[in-house]
Amino acid sequence: MTTTIILVLISVLALACLLWLAKGRTVSANILQNPTEHMRAVDVEAFRNLVDPDEEQFLRTNLSPPEFRRIQRERLRAAVEYVSCAAQNAAIMLRVADAGRRSSDPATAEAAEKLVDNAIRLRLYASLAIPRLYLGMILPGAHISPSRIAESYEQMTRLVVLLGCLQYPTRGISAAL
Amino acid sequence: MFCAYAALQVVQSAILFVISKHFGFSTPEYKQVYSMTVAASAALRFAVIYELFKDFFRSYPLLIRPGRILLRGGTIVLLLAALGLAVLAPGNGVELLVNATNVLDRTVSILQCGLLISLLLFSRYFSLSWGSPAVGLALGLGTFASVSLAASSIRLHLGLFSVHALDIFTMATYHLCVLIWMFYLLRPERATSYVLNPLPKHDLDVWNNELQRLVQR
Repeated sequence: MTTTIILVLISVLALACLLWLAKGRTVSANILQNPTEHMRAVDVEAFRNLVDPDEEQFLRTNLSPPEFRRIQRERLRAAVEYVSCAAQNAAIMLRVADAGRRSSDPATAEAAEKLVDNAIRLRLYASLAIPRLYLGMILPGAHISPSRIAESYEQMTRLVVLLGCLQYPTRGISAAL
Repeated sequence: MFCAYAALQVVQSAILFVISKHFGFSTPEYKQVYSMTVAASAALRFAVIYELFKDFFRSYPLLIRPGRILLRGGTIVLLLAALGLAVLAPGNGVELLVNATNVLDRTVSILQCGLLISLLLFSRYFSLSWGSPAVGLALGLGTFASVSLAASSIRLHLGLFSVHALDIFTMATYHLCVLIWMFYLLRPERATSYVLNPLPKHDLDVWNNELQRLVQR
């Protein structure tokens, strides 16, 4: 009896989950109408500084162990915030680029294709980096270096600019931005 | 593949209708044919889901490997869970065929529901766009799988081949799924329009620097 009740409850939850996931697609389509409104600022240099091993080493040697652990936790918490913002921006760019892939202009389609790849790569890195950063918060002494996120994010921003220029050639670069 | 599944559903309904008229609804003949059609439908539904996975990841080559891991990993975990359930809760029916059919239905429903939810979750996490027919197929199949899971679990618990209210509910759900499929398949694809203007102000310096670097290359 218990198994049956549990399975019926699971099936109700599964149905609710399916409907929620299908509804979520409409919401993300609305984001596409004005993607820049949903994008958040990400300071790549600040993020690099937060995950820089030399910086970490410097703090380790100049601070007392309890102080270092406290500061390091704060730094990693901020790094998680940066990665989350970058990943969210990547998700929006991905949707934008996905639409650009269907462009009749080969250059735009190619730039959009590259942007899709970079945004996916960033989401993949983010999904790996965030647990590592949290692990670093639990064990502040452990060596964490998700600097590939920063590289990937920079590469992606360059591609967004390129895609914008290709889609709005007559309006000039500033209009594309 | 979905067309083959839809065609099979039509053919099997006709066959079952003829058999029920000839031999009756609770006869061994009807139960045998019903069990066979349940197995055939389940196999075709798996083929449709596999095709959805393939179609989805074909557009994103970078995700083929993680997608394969998701499909294989998800199948193994769900299959183990479903088989564990089949061993631990084999059902109360006295007829072997009825019991086996319901266990098969429950196992298949768990697998299909889990796979479709993982696929939709995966696409949501990566914010990937999916053609609306594919979303409709996944939603319809998932809805039917989740209701089948509940129905087969109750049938197994009661040890019965047929529970009238449950049969009506399952049939109604199937018709709802057909409506979902029709809605998504017949609805024209929405053209995506978007604007990149303006970017947040605080990002402009970064963008300009990056652009300068791009131009100087």
